[in-house]
Amino acid sequence: MKNTTFRTEVHEQLERIGQADIIVGIPSFNNARTIGHVVRAVQGGLAKYFPDHKAVIVNSDGGSSDGTSDVVHNSSIDDFNAILLHHRVSPVSKIVFPYSGIPGKGSAFRTIFEIAEVLVAKACAVVEIDLRSITPEWIELLLKPVLVGGYDYVSPLYHRHKFDGTITNSIVYPLTRALYGRRVRQPIGGDFGFSGSLAQYYLTKDVWQTDVARFGIDIWMTTTAIANGFKVTQSFLGAKIHDAKDPGADLSSMLYQVVSATFELMETYSGVWMPIRGTEPVPAFGFEYTVGLEPVNVNTARMLNTFREGLRNLGEIWLDILGAGDFSEVERLGALPDSEFHFPIGLWAQVVYDFALAFHKKILPAEHLIKSMTPLYVGKTASFILEAKDMGQTEADAEIEKLCLEFEKRKDYLVSNWK
Amino acid sequence: MENFINLILEPLKELFLKFKVFVPNLLAMLVILFIGILLALIIKRVLMRFLAAINFDSWSDRMGFTKIMRKGDMWNKPSSTLGLIVFWLLIVLTLMSGLNALQIPAIDQLVSQFFSYIPRFFSAAMILIVGYLFSGFISRAVLITAANSGFHYAKLLAEAVHTLLIVLILAMIMEQLQIAPSIVLAAFSIIFGGIVIALAIAFGVGGIDAARRIIEKEAMTKREDETKDEIEHI
Repeated sequence: MKNTTFRTEVHEQLERIGQADIIVGIPSFNNARTIGHVVRAVQGGLAKYFPDHKAVIVNSDGGSSDGTSDVVHNSSIDDFNAILLHHRVSPVSKIVFPYSGIPGKGSAFRTIFEIAEVLVAKACAVVEIDLRSITPEWIELLLKPVLVGGYDYVSPLYHRHKFDGTITNSIVYPLTRALYGRRVRQPIGGDFGFSGSLAQYYLTKDVWQTDVARFGIDIWMTTTAIANGFKVTQSFLGAKIHDAKDPGADLSSMLYQVVSATFELMETYSGVWMPIRGTEPVPAFGFEYTVGLEPVNVNTARMLNTFREGLRNLGEIWLDILGAGDFSEVERLGALPDSEFHFPIGLWAQVVYDFALAFHKKILPAEHLIKSMTPLYVGKTASFILEAKDMGQTEADAEIEKLCLEFEKRKDYLVSNWK
Repeated sequence: MENFINLILEPLKELFLKFKVFVPNLLAMLVILFIGILLALIIKRVLMRFLAAINFDSWSDRMGFTKIMRKGDMWNKPSSTLGLIVFWLLIVLTLMSGLNALQIPAIDQLVSQFFSYIPRFFSAAMILIVGYLFSGFISRAVLITAANSGFHYAKLLAEAVHTLLIVLILAMIMEQLQIAPSIVLAAFSIIFGGIVIALAIAFGVGGIDAARRIIEKEAMTKREDETKDEIEHI
């Protein structure tokens, strides 16, 4: 147990368990309301699909005060017949403990990696804590490609409402795909499978005192796996439905966390992504099916107002970042009436690359730089919503594909300006 | 007759003796000046090369120092300007050291006053630099936060914050330099208080209609916000 600082009771538990084939990690912080369902789904999945494997559920908690740990201890499937399970079921070990280190999802994951290393796990999975749509099948889909297919990293594929996941669809997916040349559709999905050797590799990276420990662990895991040549695949998990999100969550903070982590990785792996041109598909597992999704309320008028206020107030900052050419295009958009508003995909790709270059050249403090992007992102999102409101899922996906191709087409601009 | 000649020669002798004592001091001053100017030139050159190596000009562009210089009709590169400032500071120090070597009581007093003022000067310079960076950072943070929440007067708010911080920093600098401290304190209180009262009067009396419009607009935005967007951005 080199370099690990587990509590005595965790040490004792680990010594009792000795070795495990599978680790499923669930990071939590005050999630008593939702964690029971997730734990039962994981237990069901392990019992149903991996009855011959020794498995451990690890709840890495951030110091919850709402009884999350008790819920984890007490959650179990009462009637396995209900999930059509008739073979003998051996109980799954649970390790529940508060992680140490900088508070954040990254620190919680680090402890899960450490436990995987100590127990010499063959395959691991991590799942989000607020999932309402998780089923036992998710566990099979995240772990089997590793245990049977020989893959190192399994990224999720979901069916989501065409207006959901807009930071992923308009920034993270097109950018990651264009940079590293692999079409991983949900690089910040949050539910991943990975091999024990990849977990050990993650631990060798000296990032646990940085922002990766706080936020940005999802994109870090995906990018590290792709950029270091690990075998990557995807699994179709079905619909992704979360518990109701915190309405007070600030969009610009969210954007800062995700985008700064992505840009930071561009610095780390510039030697990897610069020579890459074009992209290749990533194999996918799972039976894809369509699902009915709840309608989503959006107020595009308010979004466009935010864009215009941003242009009025942040114009000088944007001019420094985008340069006169692209800024005049953005200015032109500000004068369009709502009904004619259209944010061209080429301009958006250029905007994202300009912000990446400004981040690289440290034109502004990182937080100011990325937060100043918020009204531009809101304008792009409003434009997509206006265009896609009458589209089906396939047509909306085709629009995202067009955007990705635009990012690929303009990659030379990014490379030639990256000094 | 002899007495008369002595009367004339005595002061000349005394003058000559004083001159004899003074000449080594003068020579010392000239040597100090020569070495000081030479050192100042060398340091200026080394400093400018160092600043070029660390891309000081680009950093100044990013921090907005270049913009301030251009506003003040200074068209040199920031690195050249800093080099010149350091050069002239060294020249002034050399001059003061040289004058000190003359050992003339009146000049000695002046020089000692100058040297006792130097710590105040440097702390004022530090307040200026740190204060400028801090006020820029804070006002930009206010601007971005207000603009992202759709506040129409974000720029005005950020400029007001910036101006208030600059006023505060200038008052601190003047106080540090001991330039009429009581007047500075009074002026600062009057200006700061005046701004607050002016804002209160402008908003409360002069701008009743504008205030009503702003409040109504904010209230309307809040009502609209009640129908929250349900997009999951991640």
